[in-house]
Amino acid sequence: MATKMLADRAVYFALNHPKSVARVMVWITLVLALVAVVPSFVDLPYLKPVTVDTDPENMLSREEPVRLFHDHNKDVFALSDIIVVGVVNEEHPQGVFNPDSLRRIYDLTEYAKTLTWPSAVDPDRQEGVVEVDMIAPSTVDNIEQGGPGTVNFSWLMATPPATEEAAIAIRERAQNIPFLNGTLVSEDGKAIALYLPITSKTLSYRISTALRDYVSDWDGADQVFITGLPVAEDTFGVEMFIQMAISAPLAMLTIFLLLWWFFKKLVLVVSPMIVAMVSSIVTMALLVISGNTIHIMSSMIPIFVMPIAVLDAIHILSEFFDRYPVHKDRRKTLQEVMHALFAPMLFTTLTTMAGFASLALTPIPPVQVFGVFVAIGVFTAWLLTILFIPAFVMLIPESKLEGYGHVGSEGEQDHTLLGRFLQAIGRGSTRRPGWVLALTLLLCGVSAYGITLIRINDNPTKWFDERHEIRIADRVLNEHFGGTYMAYLSLIPAAVDEKFEMETVLSELESRRKSAVQSGLSSGVYAQFEESVRSLAQRDVSQSDALEHLTGQVEEAMAEAGGDDYFAWDDLLLLLDGIRQRQEVFKQPETLIWMDALQNHLLANGHVGKINSLVDVVKTVHRELLLGSAEAFRIPDSSNAIGQTLITYQNSHRPQDLWHFVTPDYRHANLWLQLTSGDNQDMEAVIADLDRFLADNPAPYGIDAEWFGLTYINVVWQDKMVTGMLTSFLGSFAVVLLMMVVLFRSVLAGVLSMIPLTITVGLIYGIIGLIGKDYDMPVAILSALSLGLAVDYAIHFLARSKEAVARNGSWKAAIPHVFGEPARAITRNAIVLGAGFLPLLAAPLVPYQTVGVFIAAIILSAGLATLILMPALIQLVQKWLFANVEGERQ
Amino acid sequence: MNVFIRWVGIAPLLMISLAWAQTDTAPDVDEIVHRANHVAYFLGKDGRAQVQMLITDNQGRKRQRSFTILRRDDSDSESIDDRGYLGEQKLYVYFHRPSDVNKMVFLVHKKTDTDDDRWLYLPALDLVKRIAASDKRTSFVGSDYFYEDVSGRSVDADDHELLKTTDNYYVLRHTPKDPASVEFSYYDMYVHKESFIPVQIEFYDTNGDKYRVARALKVETVQGYPTVTEASMENLKTGGVTRMRYSQVSYDIGLPEEIFTERFLRAPPVNYLR
Repeated sequence: MATKMLADRAVYFALNHPKSVARVMVWITLVLALVAVVPSFVDLPYLKPVTVDTDPENMLSREEPVRLFHDHNKDVFALSDIIVVGVVNEEHPQGVFNPDSLRRIYDLTEYAKTLTWPSAVDPDRQEGVVEVDMIAPSTVDNIEQGGPGTVNFSWLMATPPATEEAAIAIRERAQNIPFLNGTLVSEDGKAIALYLPITSKTLSYRISTALRDYVSDWDGADQVFITGLPVAEDTFGVEMFIQMAISAPLAMLTIFLLLWWFFKKLVLVVSPMIVAMVSSIVTMALLVISGNTIHIMSSMIPIFVMPIAVLDAIHILSEFFDRYPVHKDRRKTLQEVMHALFAPMLFTTLTTMAGFASLALTPIPPVQVFGVFVAIGVFTAWLLTILFIPAFVMLIPESKLEGYGHVGSEGEQDHTLLGRFLQAIGRGSTRRPGWVLALTLLLCGVSAYGITLIRINDNPTKWFDERHEIRIADRVLNEHFGGTYMAYLSLIPAAVDEKFEMETVLSELESRRKSAVQSGLSSGVYAQFEESVRSLAQRDVSQSDALEHLTGQVEEAMAEAGGDDYFAWDDLLLLLDGIRQRQEVFKQPETLIWMDALQNHLLANGHVGKINSLVDVVKTVHRELLLGSAEAFRIPDSSNAIGQTLITYQNSHRPQDLWHFVTPDYRHANLWLQLTSGDNQDMEAVIADLDRFLADNPAPYGIDAEWFGLTYINVVWQDKMVTGMLTSFLGSFAVVLLMMVVLFRSVLAGVLSMIPLTITVGLIYGIIGLIGKDYDMPVAILSALSLGLAVDYAIHFLARSKEAVARNGSWKAAIPHVFGEPARAITRNAIVLGAGFLPLLAAPLVPYQTVGVFIAAIILSAGLATLILMPALIQLVQKWLFANVEGERQ
Repeated sequence: MNVFIRWVGIAPLLMISLAWAQTDTAPDVDEIVHRANHVAYFLGKDGRAQVQMLITDNQGRKRQRSFTILRRDDSDSESIDDRGYLGEQKLYVYFHRPSDVNKMVFLVHKKTDTDDDRWLYLPALDLVKRIAASDKRTSFVGSDYFYEDVSGRSVDADDHELLKTTDNYYVLRHTPKDPASVEFSYYDMYVHKESFIPVQIEFYDTNGDKYRVARALKVETVQGYPTVTEASMENLKTGGVTRMRYSQVSYDIGLPEEIFTERFLRAPPVNYLR
């Protein structure tokens, strides 16, 4: 058999040149690590420094349409990512509306304005907090009645109030302005939220840390909470790296201690640790050298590579442990061990690689990188396992191994607790295969039911543990305010490129000419204009091009003209402008009335706490113009009235705020939604709600509504993740099945080996559905891991069973052997790995906890399925399964 | 500081300033301040101009406003020495375009001792609104100019110092007497030595960063007097810039006082608007 020969030659090489193998490994590792790290400190050609990317937005390619749309609209409406800083006072009867608290909030606002720095890329540009768009009591306008018949624009809180009454007056004014109520001031009137737009969300951690430091000496009554998706995402990135430095080594330590306990010899146990470490370092070095960034996904590579790396080594050690007492010669034992294990190790490696490499089929770049590099890490680990482990053992003096090994030696005479237990399992499941099968089917049924309950959902804020300050801030602020999760809805009328309406222009021209002549202007200018209009109509021009062209012509003529002609041309400009304004869709009452209905519909959905838009601006200003009466809180009846309401608004301190809601040409509007939850399923509910509204209430002007904003982007990449993971899982399942059929040269054996894996995956996802755990990013990735790990035990078990049947003549005779050393190796493996990942549970980041729990569950389940279900199934199909094995023997 | 009403109209003044330039004796700070204030806001008994306003945001998107501005001073004196030029002033701003604000009127009675009176007439709502004078440093119809840039900031609101005298300019620094009432910490003004036209004004925020710049871009002679016919205001924080072009400028046209009253908001004085 070709693989066996190759195996033997490789192992012989390692056994003969142990020092060279060790030396080469150390050198390659050092060189790779240096090449990866040095460019971060010194500039080198072709090599990039280590770059860290903690932005979940990059789960989607930069060219992804949803991201392009998001970025485009952020530019159009001058929107920034927002840090929400809430100040809550539960002790004072008026909450934060007392002079002391407001003085602090004023100072905090002033401090926040200073949080800008020259950009690292372009020192001429400032980055940090965008002062002009800050929402704080001292930076926003109050619009109100200033006495009979007057309207007043003034800063809501120009200076901190001196008296309790003045403090309460600020609250009352703010609560009367829809834009501020629920956004700046909580609806219960106890808290204030500052909205700090930032130039880049990668500054969130830096800015929120600075703010936290600033308020650290505030007394107890005023509590400050900082949240918002940018903060959650950026903070996660920072803490993720801290966790990598704690969790991964802790997992390694646990694995190490368990191995030590199982295999006694410290010196031997070190070897799998070295394999795990070297594989991780080499993989991460290659990742960096190849120019990839260290992203949330790729930071998890070591956590995945390490358990898989020690897996094969444990099989070798376990086997060595059991056989060494027989030969008392490490070289001979190793040859035998490696000969027996080579094929299963090769195939478990290939299947694991296939499982992870299949992630390259997902449409999510960081997941692709993750999959490919874990596959590389697994391959590295395999290479090291077959070369370095034998070499390492050879380097241990024989004397040190004296008295080493399993007491029971060859399988069937094992009298340890574990040994007897495994034998009992073997006997039990082969005697009562029907019971095992029935139980399995029952489990499958429960799993299938559980899977139907799976709730696909994610929320980067919930990547933090419940007790994390970001989660606390999230909870508190979303109780008090309209919501800290931002989503935006872009509204654009259907592109109409209607033909130039010459008749309209001419008929309006006629009436203007009449009144102009009456008021003493000469009609010459009008005649000249009519000529231009008629000659333009000869050509095939669109309405907007024609208006632009004519306006240009008139402006030129007007610049030259003097006296009365100037005013005649000016009159014509007014005519053209009037026609142009009919295209201003978002100044038309019917549009705003429709938008108002849309907003009310969405607000009825419990997840939308607040919507700010042009509608609220118009209604509020209209109300204040009309003596502040509640009935006037409506959309005015004509587009001119809307235009005049809006120009009144622009007499405020912050006229530019209008352009967050509509473009200056009034042909593109934006709704700012504040959601109280960042859960994808809640965003999806809002999306569905909008679709229902649009179906029932056709938009005027063929307005097209499209979502953007971080909360929406998360939904899009989740969708891609879920469907991507499903296809990649099905793809790799098929590949692994094919590999099994080839390995065992039997369709039956191939299918059989896939059963524990299938049951495990079904069970894991069934449990996820049953316990109500959200199917999120880490859970999705785990399907690849379960494929890689769960099939391993089955391969070992089947390969060793066939070997044992060949040696012992029949399945019945082989059972005690199979439940000897091979079963022990699987059990030890499962215990070491399962327990090894439990330290991840202590991490304050939920994805780490999830990975820890589910790796343990996958391993346990796959181990049990292999040891209990496989023998029962083999019992039932042995006649066909071992037909050639026995044939070979005869 | 200002922009709006720089139609200069008094020949003797020009000659006096030329005389100063020749003798090279720098006038004292108050003298410069009042001359600049006079040139910027108070020349002539009255005046009229057609204004084209172009507002450009940091994305290069443009909006236009077109209006006629009428001004009438109460004082008949042009004397700087006894501050006789100062006094109440009335402004009538009639909007032509954009067409949805056509016929909108903005009326101001500028007082010397008390807050100004301001009215806004919105024809589509047939509504005359008084605008409370609590804060003059709000945007003028969405442009980068403030209401106060248009109507003129009281000379008494700031302390003045002469920073330096260059070949062409007196450079003044103005520090507000009531810092809480304004958003700037001080502003520097470059006053042309001969014409006393404030050619550039730079506003600094509390961090000492320059964030607003007003410029006179073009000066033409109208009715024999130098007049700023193009000016701009740039907001360095928002990246917005507003440019104004004055045309059809004329002085001393005999505007009657009665057109600057509420009565003429709904019925604009068409004869005087062009």
